[in-house]
Amino acid sequence: MIMFLTKDQEEMLSGMKGEAIAKSMELIVKIGDVYNAKQLIPITNAQVAGVSYLTVGESIFSYFELLSKDAVKVKVPTWLNPAGMDMKKWKEMKISEDFAEKQLRIVNFYEGLGINPTLTCAPYLIGHTPSQGDHLAWSESSAVSIANSFYGARTNREGAPSSLASAITGLTANYGLHITENRNPRILVDVRTKLESFSDYSALGYWYGQKFHGSVPYFVNIQSLNINEAKMLAAALAASGSVALYHVKDLTPESKSIDTENVEEKIEFTESNKNEIYNHFNQINEGPDLVVIGCPHASHEDVKLISGILQSRQMKDGIEFWIFTSSKTKAAIDADSLLTNLESRGIKIYADTCMVVSPSVSENFQNIITNSTKAAHYLSKAKTTMVNLLPLDSIMKEVTE
Amino acid sequence: MKIGIRPIVEGKVTGSVLLSPHPISFLGDVDSETGKIIDSESSIYGKSLKNTIFVFPRGKGSTVGSYIIYGLRVNNVSPLALVAEEAETIVIAGAILAGIPLVDLPDKDLFSIVKTGDIITIDTSEKTLTIQKREK
Repeated sequence: MIMFLTKDQEEMLSGMKGEAIAKSMELIVKIGDVYNAKQLIPITNAQVAGVSYLTVGESIFSYFELLSKDAVKVKVPTWLNPAGMDMKKWKEMKISEDFAEKQLRIVNFYEGLGINPTLTCAPYLIGHTPSQGDHLAWSESSAVSIANSFYGARTNREGAPSSLASAITGLTANYGLHITENRNPRILVDVRTKLESFSDYSALGYWYGQKFHGSVPYFVNIQSLNINEAKMLAAALAASGSVALYHVKDLTPESKSIDTENVEEKIEFTESNKNEIYNHFNQINEGPDLVVIGCPHASHEDVKLISGILQSRQMKDGIEFWIFTSSKTKAAIDADSLLTNLESRGIKIYADTCMVVSPSVSENFQNIITNSTKAAHYLSKAKTTMVNLLPLDSIMKEVTE
Repeated sequence: MKIGIRPIVEGKVTGSVLLSPHPISFLGDVDSETGKIIDSESSIYGKSLKNTIFVFPRGKGSTVGSYIIYGLRVNNVSPLALVAEEAETIVIAGAILAGIPLVDLPDKDLFSIVKTGDIITIDTSEKTLTIQKREK
């Protein structure tokens, strides 16, 4: 053992507090050893992936059996990533009874551990915002990046099992992005083209991630960075390049203390770089059959914006329009009557899931339009689906009348 | 021939090598019920990990892959040991959950030295990987 452990931590690891806690500790300590962590640190909260039955499959149930032996509970507030279906409207999404039964068992198990079944990739949109300097164990890659970049909290890109282990023990190993020096930028990106839509932010992230896998960027000349713009940039950086932290001059909390003398490379992001990404995701030859918005999950403001562009227009025949969000945001949309308005115009809003982790989208549609490069990236991996990337206002013009 | 390694999950086992020259996404590339490689583009497509010493460069893809490694153990189709060029969190977490010996950072270029079918011994207390018998 390389790492220093307190007496209490040694006891947890040795099995004195049960097998589930021992396995969880072993996982955190061994990963920490590999990355040369010197000690464990307490976390403020956790966000756990490994929820959709589509991705976890049958194997998850065997692991749940092991965890059930000791009746463990999470030690810190913990939130869940999206499931493979809307927990209420799964039949409308053409999810099978068998899938639904297994999905329900998975969510119930996590709830039994004391985890809040938020079923969202964007807990920060529903009140769970981290504070600067908080140590966290989050696993959804876009949320990891938002926590680090937009809020100045500290989390590595945890895996599904390690985030759960940290939730159960309240600890993580002190390495990677928990350490100040590792948060310095490596690449300076001068943004020479205007970012005018969410998909422009998404294109910038996707372009950078493809070129500089894993390296922390420092963006200059970005004029605006609200949470809805920040989440599109974060998700794209993570999807194409596993980037877990970015800084934007004057607009992110740690940007003031950045020393640009140490950056290894300075590059420009131009209009033609932006167009490369739109051209890459321009695969549809026939008419689209589905629009998907909400990767990451849509905020209340995102939905208001869609409603504003839509005004009194209706969806064209033969095209469906799905927005993915959390159940909490959906309830807020319902409360201010946006929901009935959108539904009456042919737009569907699904909670608890998304186009990436539900089988519903790729199994039932072939030609899909989205404004998110992360969604486009994963949907275009399925051999049966073609994807176009477009800004939101262009999408609305194309599919409504 | 002895090769130095870094032990991550302890154990001493002897077995036959199954070597993948490509990084493995346990989610999608491996069937946790049969232990077989189901990535049709892999050069070891259709081979089973069961009772082999599985040698591969590194894990990749979804972190849910750790649960697939655990599933291999539960379904009695797990490898005897995992040898990576460089282990990352997906493989480390999976090996710990499943209790499968895991080593990495071989001090020689393993991929030019061992091949599928060779008999090797992993000994984490000695920090060695020993080639016992060459596949003819």
